[in-house]
Amino acid sequence: MKALKKNIIREISGTKSRFFSILAIIGLSTGFFTGIKASGPSMMKTGLDYFEEQNLMDIRLVSTVGFDDDDIKAIKENENTLDVMPGYSSDLISTEDNIDTVIKVISLPEKTDTNDRIINEPILVEGRFPESSGECAIESYYFTRYGYKIGDKITLNPKVQGNDTLDFVKNLEYKIVGAVSSPTYITYQRENTNVGDGTIAYFIMLPSEEFSSERYTNVFLTTKKNFDPYNPYDSEYKEHIDKVKDVYTDLSEERIRIFNENTLKDAKKELSDARKEYSEKKTEAEKELSDGEKKLHDGEREYAEKILDAERKIAEGEKELEDGRKELAEGQKKYADGIAEAKQKLTDAKTEYSKGKEEYTKAKNEYDLQIEQAQNKLDDAETEFNIQYQLFYGTTKPQAETKLTLLKTAIDSCNEIIDKTKQSIEEAEEIISIEVDDENELQKLKDKLDEYSAKLDEYNLQYEEGTRQLKEGEKQLEDARQKLDDAKAEFRKKKAEGSQKLNDAQIKLDNAQSQIDIGMLEYESAMNSGMLEIQAAQAKISEGEKQLENGKTELEKQKAAGMEQLKKSREKLDSGKNEAARQLGEALKKLNDAQKQIESLDDAKWFVNARNDYPGYSGLEEDSMRVDKVATVFPFFFMLVASLVCLTTMSRMVEERRTEIGTLKALGYSNFSIALKYFIYSSIASVVGSIIGGILGMSTIPKIIVDTYSMLYTLPPSKVVFPLDIFILSSAMGLICTSVVAVVSCLGELRLKPATLMRPKAPKPGKRILLEHIPFIWKHLNFTSKVTMRNLFRYKIRFFMTVIGVAGCTALIIGGLGLKDSLSVIAGRQYDELTIFDQIYALSDPGDERKTEYIMSQFHADKRFDQTIPVGQNWINVVYDNDRKISLRTVIAEPDSSFEKIFVLRDRVTHDKVTLDNSGVVINERLSQVTGVGAGEILDFMLDDESYSVKVSGITENYAGNTVYFTPELYTEVTGKETEYNVVYTQLSDISSDEQKKVANDWMEKDEILTVSVLEDQLNGILSTLDSLNVIVLVVIICAGMLAVVVLYNLTNINISERIREIATIKVLGFYNIETANYIYRENIILTLTGALVGLPLGMVFLSFIMVSIQMEMVMFPQYITVLSYAIGFVLTLIFSLFVNFIMYFKMKKVSMVESLKSIE
Amino acid sequence: MMKDFVKFDNVYKRYKMGEVTINAANGVSFSIDEGEFAVVVGLSGAGKTTVLNILGGIDSCDEGTIIVGGRDISRLSGKDLASYRRYDIGFVFQFYNLIPNLTAKENVELATQICRDHMDADAALESVGLTERKNNFPAQLSGGEQQRVSIARALAKKPKLLLCDEPTGALDYNTGKNILKLLQNKCQEDGMTVVLITHNSAITPMANRVIRMRSGKVISNTINESPVPIEQIEW
Repeated sequence: MKALKKNIIREISGTKSRFFSILAIIGLSTGFFTGIKASGPSMMKTGLDYFEEQNLMDIRLVSTVGFDDDDIKAIKENENTLDVMPGYSSDLISTEDNIDTVIKVISLPEKTDTNDRIINEPILVEGRFPESSGECAIESYYFTRYGYKIGDKITLNPKVQGNDTLDFVKNLEYKIVGAVSSPTYITYQRENTNVGDGTIAYFIMLPSEEFSSERYTNVFLTTKKNFDPYNPYDSEYKEHIDKVKDVYTDLSEERIRIFNENTLKDAKKELSDARKEYSEKKTEAEKELSDGEKKLHDGEREYAEKILDAERKIAEGEKELEDGRKELAEGQKKYADGIAEAKQKLTDAKTEYSKGKEEYTKAKNEYDLQIEQAQNKLDDAETEFNIQYQLFYGTTKPQAETKLTLLKTAIDSCNEIIDKTKQSIEEAEEIISIEVDDENELQKLKDKLDEYSAKLDEYNLQYEEGTRQLKEGEKQLEDARQKLDDAKAEFRKKKAEGSQKLNDAQIKLDNAQSQIDIGMLEYESAMNSGMLEIQAAQAKISEGEKQLENGKTELEKQKAAGMEQLKKSREKLDSGKNEAARQLGEALKKLNDAQKQIESLDDAKWFVNARNDYPGYSGLEEDSMRVDKVATVFPFFFMLVASLVCLTTMSRMVEERRTEIGTLKALGYSNFSIALKYFIYSSIASVVGSIIGGILGMSTIPKIIVDTYSMLYTLPPSKVVFPLDIFILSSAMGLICTSVVAVVSCLGELRLKPATLMRPKAPKPGKRILLEHIPFIWKHLNFTSKVTMRNLFRYKIRFFMTVIGVAGCTALIIGGLGLKDSLSVIAGRQYDELTIFDQIYALSDPGDERKTEYIMSQFHADKRFDQTIPVGQNWINVVYDNDRKISLRTVIAEPDSSFEKIFVLRDRVTHDKVTLDNSGVVINERLSQVTGVGAGEILDFMLDDESYSVKVSGITENYAGNTVYFTPELYTEVTGKETEYNVVYTQLSDISSDEQKKVANDWMEKDEILTVSVLEDQLNGILSTLDSLNVIVLVVIICAGMLAVVVLYNLTNINISERIREIATIKVLGFYNIETANYIYRENIILTLTGALVGLPLGMVFLSFIMVSIQMEMVMFPQYITVLSYAIGFVLTLIFSLFVNFIMYFKMKKVSMVESLKSIE
Repeated sequence: MMKDFVKFDNVYKRYKMGEVTINAANGVSFSIDEGEFAVVVGLSGAGKTTVLNILGGIDSCDEGTIIVGGRDISRLSGKDLASYRRYDIGFVFQFYNLIPNLTAKENVELATQICRDHMDADAALESVGLTERKNNFPAQLSGGEQQRVSIARALAKKPKLLLCDEPTGALDYNTGKNILKLLQNKCQEDGMTVVLITHNSAITPMANRVIRMRSGKVISNTINESPVPIEQIEW
């Protein structure tokens, strides 16, 4: 045995990775299973211990009329009662920053006098309990959440529902001295109330002396139980409570009867007193009333007279005013006429003036033109004259004179010559006579004389000509001068003419101007005279007005005086009336009080409540059940995968040790001792794994889950319950999958002869795979793909194990994510698409049709509502499977347009509208699923203990809550009852939540409204519940991831060890490390991909498993997985796979070629 | 023909077994010329497999140098060793080491697909006389046939050196002889350098060179001038 021990230890150390992967798988699945399975019970246990330690009451009695000491005594004396604690509770309004919040004010639980124990003992979380007046303890949940501090103050609104707050408690301001949690409120949920917006935000506790009421408002009691210990969520306890509830109900009837007798006596006396008082007061009042009326009458007469007087005066004034006006009109007319005349004249003058001006201008223009022309002519003449002058004196005259001078000289010389000649001749002649020879001489002289005479003639001629020319020049000059003189004369003449004409025009113009001046004067004088007349008239008018004013003032004065008188009379009358009304009212109130007291005898009632009437109490059970159900499905699946992997691993191990088994057998070891090794090996792995996994799982998972849920609850720190049975179960399962499998496969081998065993088991022969017979595909694969494909199909078991393992992981992840997806769909679809009303108002007097009509008109008038619809909401029990019942509410409403806007009735898949009409009711899908009643079938239900049946005409999509929709006609037809509209569903226009709160507050002020439920509160509740499921999802994903890693690691490990020779061989052939790894990885990747793909639909299947197991009667869980979740599941699996491959790379790198070439063992 | 194609110079290989150190190769020195048929012979534990492993790049030495074709392979990295095995070495195993899941031809292709310069798989199989059975899986082949596939796989890579580790160790007498014949032919006809290790000294006459080993040392390295055809050897 020592050798065997050593053998086992060596085996373990030699196969560490296998040993630890088995250990890890077993550990994981056990830990996960135990841990998650412990969560539900741990949650429950945490709650139960809390209830037990804080001595949570069994029964709470609430009375409409309160309890007195006799009542308490009677309860105490009941044989079922263990302990009694009377207390107070009021719903009041706290005001902070102008925001009203409804709070529950309860008396601090006190020690009972019977057993000296506190019932519902609160736990002090911070500070201290309130001791003196003006101190309070606030609930710790609200305290922490809204960051209150010890010492903060809570201010109460002095009015609540029209009553004085001080009627309930003694102070209006309370200092917070402590934060507490109470076992009665384990969630953030509070009861509904008929105060404020109908929702209680938090509670505070005050010492009971702080309450003003004489009578206790509620009684907490614990009961005697004949079983111990007990689980209050057990049926045993529930039955017990049902029983004692009946007992206290009976007791309440007895106590109410006594109460009624006492009050009836008092009330009857009060009633008759009141009646008497009322009639007295009425007579008195009537007398006073008639006095008042007389006085009023007198006043009215006086008033009328005075008014008449004043009116007369006014008429006078008006007349005068009229005269003045007339005069004014005349004056105005005169004024206008005069002005018009003057104006006419002025206009004429102006016309003439302008005409004159025109003429003048014309004349002037003409004058200017003529002057200009004349000037021109003058200028021309002057110029010409100057030229001539210049010519004559400059040129002609000097030339001519020079010529003449020359000529004269020539003439003179000629004359001289002639004279001389003549003298000579004469002399000659005288000589001749003497000398004949001188004859010739003489001739010559005669010729000379002739010649000179001719010359003289010519010169004379020329001289004459010159003289003539000079004379002509002179004459020409004279002409020019004459012309100049003419032009000058003409110019002068013309200028004179023009001036004359101009003067004429000027004269005309002057005339016109003077005419205008005259017109102007006339105009002014006319104006002045008119103005005077008008002023006179105006003076008259203002005189008249003044007179009128006087008259009016007079009237006013008279009126005021009259009014005063009237008012006085009326006041007298009113005071008389008021007095009468007040007195009457008082009397009437007394009368009513008395009446009410008598009436309340009928209403007086005790309500017997048990623990589950506190919100959240049953929630704890439901939540822990839900966790427990999820906790069953997930780990089961998990275990399944783990078991399969262990199974493969162990059978593989035995196979590997075949030779050793053969050797031992040949050596003569018994089958038992040979198998023992494998048994012990696997047992150690699985037991150690279970224990480690169990410890880790227990210490983490329940804490995480319970703590998450604790956020929704105000529970003390979580207590972990160790589910021994689950632990044993999962350990056993681990053991079976490892040890038993090991032993069985070992024994299977042992059946063979040692010789056979010692021979190596022939490696699995290669085979053609199916794919090879499809040449179309096979031919197109490259060599490595072919090898991969063949390898894949060669190890079929490993193929399936890996695919299942990987698919399992993918499915777990997808399932987990899908759980979250589906639940958010509920929240999303339910509250975004289906439940689209915002507030439900409960009417205080639904039977009164007139009131309902009135309040509906008020609703319609409030523009803050988009839609409002009156609905008959009853609670009915739907009966199915003969005796099973579901309690649910009805919606009875006219299917008008408002109905369609507030209630979305549609098919879940097609979103087609489901019509509500008189042919049958519409029910929600979950109800249809639970009862098995489909469209066209008959639904049975009970209302007020009567059974009815109705045809179902349609099924509508809905997730949270069950509803049966009726039309009023159908409801009446089926039940024979008239529809009583008791609630109003409303849809607000788009306003903020503070405003919504204000709407609710406003409406709660109205007497016609009993309560308001605000949808937002419910929504927040549901959303936070869903949030806490995230943690479960996370735990599942982490565990699934670990499982994936271990499974893939293990299977790859097997793969490698099985093929170690093959790997060594290809390494020897010269494959690089990466090529070698790829040789294996290619298969792994295909296996992982296949597994992950298979996991996708499996995830959906898995999700539906979860959904079916957590579904509730009330809630339909749709199965919905987003594409993203699928993608995450798929990718995460691949990442895990890559991670494993990465680790495996190093292992493969280490495969020694030398080892593998050794002979086969 | 290159002289000293393979040269071991004072090669040491030590294995640590707990506190005991075993000198598997204790200063091994020898050389083999190109084209020779060398037989390394010795008893079990003489260190011949260690020598072959080191020569084949499967194992590394601790000291000394190994020259193959003029290249020192004793200091190569893991990757270079893989390349060395890939392109230079053909290995014939005692237990054939065929991939059971691949047919004869595919087993050869497994080797050729990683070599740049390689024989056609069919030709390689033909050269060992296995054309007819090339589509059979190893399990469908006899031992001799499997060893032929193994040889074909080694040859198909066109190695510089063919290393055979007791190739006949798992075969019966006649089959073993046939395999040896095949190897001798490859050496004589194709000029392949063959190193064969065996514990059977009876087959040494067929070799060109006989290296005898004992206790991790070479005790003799003799050249056989006239190798005897295998058919003439009996044992």
